[in-house]
Amino acid sequence: MITNFDKLCGDLEKQELEAPNGIASPTTYAQLLAIYLYQNDLCNAKFLWKRIPQTISASNPELAAIWAVGQKLWKKDLPRTYQALAAYHWIDPVATIMRALEENVRERAFNLIGRSYSSISVDTVVSATGLSKEAVLQICRDRKWELSDDGVTVNPIPPTQPAPLHTSSEDQLFKLTDFVSFLEN
Amino acid sequence: MASPLEQFVNNVRTISASGNFRELCEIISKSDEVLQRNGAHLNTVLETLDIQQHSLGVLAVLVAKFSLPQSSNDVDRSTMFQQICDFISNCNGEQVRFCPELYADLCHLLTDHLVELKQPIRGIEILKKAIRKIQLFDSQLTSIHADLCQLCLLSKCMKPALEFLDTDVTGIGTELGGNNDSKHFLLYYYYGGMIYAALKNYERALYFFEVVVTVPAMVVSHIMLEAYKKYILVSLILHGKILQMPKYTSQVVCRFLKPLSVAYHDLARSQHAAVKHRETFLRDKNMGLVNQVINSMYKKNIQRLTKTFLTLSLSDVASRVQLSGPVEAESYILNMIEEGEIYAMINQKDGMVVFLDSPEKYASPETLCVLEQQMAACTKLHQYIQEMDEQIQVNPQYVKKSVGCHDEDMPATSQNSKTTYTM
Repeated sequence: MITNFDKLCGDLEKQELEAPNGIASPTTYAQLLAIYLYQNDLCNAKFLWKRIPQTISASNPELAAIWAVGQKLWKKDLPRTYQALAAYHWIDPVATIMRALEENVRERAFNLIGRSYSSISVDTVVSATGLSKEAVLQICRDRKWELSDDGVTVNPIPPTQPAPLHTSSEDQLFKLTDFVSFLEN
Repeated sequence: MASPLEQFVNNVRTISASGNFRELCEIISKSDEVLQRNGAHLNTVLETLDIQQHSLGVLAVLVAKFSLPQSSNDVDRSTMFQQICDFISNCNGEQVRFCPELYADLCHLLTDHLVELKQPIRGIEILKKAIRKIQLFDSQLTSIHADLCQLCLLSKCMKPALEFLDTDVTGIGTELGGNNDSKHFLLYYYYGGMIYAALKNYERALYFFEVVVTVPAMVVSHIMLEAYKKYILVSLILHGKILQMPKYTSQVVCRFLKPLSVAYHDLARSQHAAVKHRETFLRDKNMGLVNQVINSMYKKNIQRLTKTFLTLSLSDVASRVQLSGPVEAESYILNMIEEGEIYAMINQKDGMVVFLDSPEKYASPETLCVLEQQMAACTKLHQYIQEMDEQIQVNPQYVKKSVGCHDEDMPATSQNSKTTYTM
């Protein structure tokens, strides 16, 4: 899924650069903007929004809706991000990207909470992830985050690091040889 | 057709056929005037020449044609973009490399034209192609690089420039080096710094601005002054203070740039300068960066707290850093944890925050990977320096000078070789 978007991103960037008179089609802009947001590349998203000709951005509610999400992300206002995502009825091809974006944002929010809180109220988790209380409690159980006795705070556990990348010993030997031969010469 | 023009066409045809391009270059450089005077016939000349076979001739004609004053032939401007695109896509790279100045001039003309049309984004692809065509290797800097960065900035489409900016320069095109104007060199690094700053890659931006300011100079250029202002701002954002300029900075820079950027030095001392010198910052179009500086000051203050305290209540953080309240403090800390700028745990129940040490033990495979990459980069750098040293040692001028000194007294030689290293 991810590689898919990356490739699409490259294609869309090319389309924009090769567009006659430098103005691409609204769907190109919409998809590219959504993908930048998905990649959390907010700087490029912001500049893309700024360079879309006004005639196009004004006449395309979808573009404006995507950027409304981008603005909230820029301000790190997670609760309103989910609101903005829910406020518009997305149509494919943008819909797929926006769905992936939402999952991505939520996943990041959970990881961040895990890393930075030793205790947090359930309400804060609910607003930071845009889920219902039941869903949050379910995920907390999945992640083995303990619910305190008072029933309103959870104690998150930092997410485990992804398994370290293994390098073959041959590869390491090769690098070591390189290094030693450099020092010797 | 006028006869000197006819002669030019004949020269281009015969010499191109014989393959003696160096001679052709000389003829072309002298025929500039002839071409300019016969502006009306240049289209006919173009028809008689083949882009692939007579690349140099066509290049000269195109440059002459488009450097004519605008008023003389309005019609031609509409086809200008297409014509230059055709030329860049189809010309013979080996041939035009004999005359890189002219090739770069053509690209400058195209850039100016697109800037005037307010359609800078159209030029990005073609200039990328143009650079790749004239470069001998990927890390060679040409004067077209600056044009590409300019178009990227103007069109607010920065990403295409990154593949060039991310490559560290190890060589400079002949049209840019030597005794030529340093304008395009300075501009490349200035624009590059701006692109990095826009994309919030401040480390790289600082480096680019530093390159502009540390170019050996006898006089100060305006580009250097503007770069120096931005250098201060980016340095404040990254480090919370103005970094000392490297020792090899030219003296004129220190002497003239500092008095001209008082407002920026004030900003380093107090935040109130942002209000006091607002006019200056707005005029310099640096207000965005100034706001970033102020924002980063809160972060720096929070970072300073981590050095003194192990635990602190959120409201204490807010009052010490002069934020509005615990909620704002919490959001600042949360953002900083996300960016990896501090390590802390917030306990929402008690309203406390515990500052932790960096969890990095420098024992993970990732650390090893980083170390390996750094070592590879150093090895590569060593190799470049060795190559450069070898080139200098066989340089006739250097040999002559060092042998001459050798006759007079010994110590001078060693001193001489030292200076070449620092170059």
